[in-house]
Amino acid sequence: MKKRVLAGFFLSLSLMLSACSGGGTAPADQAKPKDGQAATAKTELIVAAEQEPVGYDPHKVPAASSVRVYALIYDSLTKLDENMEIVPNLAEKWEIAPDGKTITMFLHAGVKFHNGKDMTAEDVKYSFERILNPDTGAIAKSYFSSVESIEAKDATTVVFKLKNADAAFVANTASAYASIVPAGSTDLTKEAIGTGPFKLEKAESGQYVLLKKNADYFNKDLPKVETIKFQIMKDEAERLAAMRSGKIDVSVISADSAKLLEGKPGVQVKNYQSLEYSYLGINVNKKPFDNPKVREAISYAVDRNQIVQTVWKGEAALTGPIAPALTNWAVDTASYPSYKTDVEKAKALLAEAGFPNGFETQIETAATYPDMVETAQVIQQQLKAIGINAKINQLEWGNYIDTWKSKDMNLMVGRNTSGVDADRSMRFFFASTGSANVWNYANPAYDELVAKALSTVDQAERKKLYEEAQMMLVQDAPNLFLASPKNYYAVRDNIDFTPTAAGEVYSLIKTSIK
Amino acid sequence: MGSYLLKRVASLIPILFGISVLVFTILHLVPGDPASIMLGTNATPEAIAALNKSMGLDQPLLSQYMSWITGMLQGNFGVSVHTGEDILPQILKRFAITLQLTVLGVLIGWALAIPFGILSAIRAHSKTDIVVRVATLLGISVPNFAIGTLLLLGFSLYFGWFPPIDVVSFWEDPVEAFKVFILPATTMGIVVAAGVMRMTRSAFLETMDKDFIRTARAKGNSQWTIVMGHAFRNSSIPIVTIAGMQIGYLLGGSVIVEQLFSIPGLGQYILEGIYQRDYPVVQGGVLFVALVFVLVNLLIDLIYTWIDPRIKY
Repeated sequence: MKKRVLAGFFLSLSLMLSACSGGGTAPADQAKPKDGQAATAKTELIVAAEQEPVGYDPHKVPAASSVRVYALIYDSLTKLDENMEIVPNLAEKWEIAPDGKTITMFLHAGVKFHNGKDMTAEDVKYSFERILNPDTGAIAKSYFSSVESIEAKDATTVVFKLKNADAAFVANTASAYASIVPAGSTDLTKEAIGTGPFKLEKAESGQYVLLKKNADYFNKDLPKVETIKFQIMKDEAERLAAMRSGKIDVSVISADSAKLLEGKPGVQVKNYQSLEYSYLGINVNKKPFDNPKVREAISYAVDRNQIVQTVWKGEAALTGPIAPALTNWAVDTASYPSYKTDVEKAKALLAEAGFPNGFETQIETAATYPDMVETAQVIQQQLKAIGINAKINQLEWGNYIDTWKSKDMNLMVGRNTSGVDADRSMRFFFASTGSANVWNYANPAYDELVAKALSTVDQAERKKLYEEAQMMLVQDAPNLFLASPKNYYAVRDNIDFTPTAAGEVYSLIKTSIK
Repeated sequence: MGSYLLKRVASLIPILFGISVLVFTILHLVPGDPASIMLGTNATPEAIAALNKSMGLDQPLLSQYMSWITGMLQGNFGVSVHTGEDILPQILKRFAITLQLTVLGVLIGWALAIPFGILSAIRAHSKTDIVVRVATLLGISVPNFAIGTLLLLGFSLYFGWFPPIDVVSFWEDPVEAFKVFILPATTMGIVVAAGVMRMTRSAFLETMDKDFIRTARAKGNSQWTIVMGHAFRNSSIPIVTIAGMQIGYLLGGSVIVEQLFSIPGLGQYILEGIYQRDYPVVQGGVLFVALVFVLVNLLIDLIYTWIDPRIKY
């Protein structure tokens, strides 16, 4: 009896073993007909998602993994095109009163929410009031702090009355965080009903998010695919393998992987200049960084070109306080004197500041992001040349954010995203009241400049003010602005997808399958 | 036996209570909170405060613990602070996936380990033994992310075969599920095999030296009868012990393998919870894993009495 049991056990083990060793080839044969089928009538676009979305409330969830999904479900009043210009979306057109304090938005007629209800001025009013309600904890609340009242004049006209002229207002309505939601909706975690080109069909936690085309989308020509599936694949090696075997159609990839995929059959690598830039933050309250000469010395000692070459393999652009992709606003980096590295001058400045032999300090960086760690390492080497010995602290993301918030760091490497309008890059990050000004930078002249720029309706005049402000920031150096990287996508040959700085959503809506 | 079982189950209460306190404290001691992780450097202090309030994180720690543990005692694991999803159904769903991966992985591991371990022991110091031992050493030394990546790249580049990207269960579609799980399970199996094989070899070597084996040989039994009929059962206690430990660990979710192959298992769920500081997810997940681990160990102890009737509790 015992023998029989044992023999049976071994028999099943060996069966298992043979089944396993044959496993590689058998499923391949079975997979073929399915692939063939998909090739003839492919209507589904599969996009790899590196991170799992963490909810779909457009007013509350800032995670990029969520935005890329909910921005396809909801629409905002305006949007950005590939030239980074503000163009109509739910709002057909808008009028700005000469004093800049009244903005009238004229909505598209006949736009419907996914549940069949008409989208009207009441929904717009409700959405903005929800954003402005402090209990919501909306991300975009600070974007619209100038709003005094919102009036739904008729079904398709909304009037925003502002406390003061706000030249960034219209640009801010392009943000996905300012999406229009149906009036009366409170809990947007459970259901997602927008006016956007796609409807949320199914979200399978840990696996995928499936979006289905909205047949009633107000732009009749779009979208061009029936479904988009965001397939959650956290590992880059897996995404690359899936891309090469044609299991996914579109994927974000790193610059290193872009090199690997270049020229491989069936796959194209595409890139665009991003709105992101890396920086070295300097705490202007901490000794010895409170001395402007020390900051200037660091600015002259850091070779930004070497960072572009080493960290980004040359695939990045030099940047000022506004990323160069925002061509309307960014100052040409050639006009910043300190961008020409000058170690001798840096040493002299340091000596003048009373540190002829340099000093010891720390650079905080996020271990989660290899580019930030590498940037810190390059800067560490460069600072050594002028006698500054910096120790690098690699922090886990949560810890990093805590340090960032503490306003008590010495030096810190990080990354920012320039908003659509210059106001965000300038005021939010560096005005003395700016929420993201964790560097204790407080320059009344700068504050005045950016406040004036915000209330200046004439765009040419505004541009001049922001140029002045950018020059001032680079000179004062509460941050050294380093490099604005390109972002890469791998795209299957049969997919017509062109990424731009206007964002993935803008491209996905227009994507078709050849 | 009955009273032993009762005692063991009762001992679960202090264990789980201790773990609940430990995981709650450690999690809240870790820098960062869900709101600031979520908002990152986009945060305004008032947005963080509003978000924390909406997640109930503005309450004192003790009252947060009390409300969580009271819920747990009623079987209410709570909801994820980020997605608002109920946690228990997610844990069960993901555990089902981890369970399938583990069972297949362990079966592959044992199928490799036990026959080769025995072979290696009864032909100790032969060429076969050396080959097996070197292979074992490789299995232990090469990290599973390397094995997994090699399998994945190898199959996709040289055979043009990539596992299906949607995970299905064996009870839904066994063939498709086999395709989904075979590569990650093999990755897992290779690591499992290495450990079990070493244990099998040493256990058999020891048993084969025992007097009763000499007696069995003297009776003129064949090698097969000696190994299978006499040595196997007497060597299996240490093998079952190590196998049980491995299953316990693997059921907690093999994070690396799950991450690499995009298997939405329990390990990935908890890891994501840690990154996002999704406190209830991590707390509930860890407690669940602890419960599974303790139960698996209990089961192993019960199996001892079946393997060796002399063991009595």
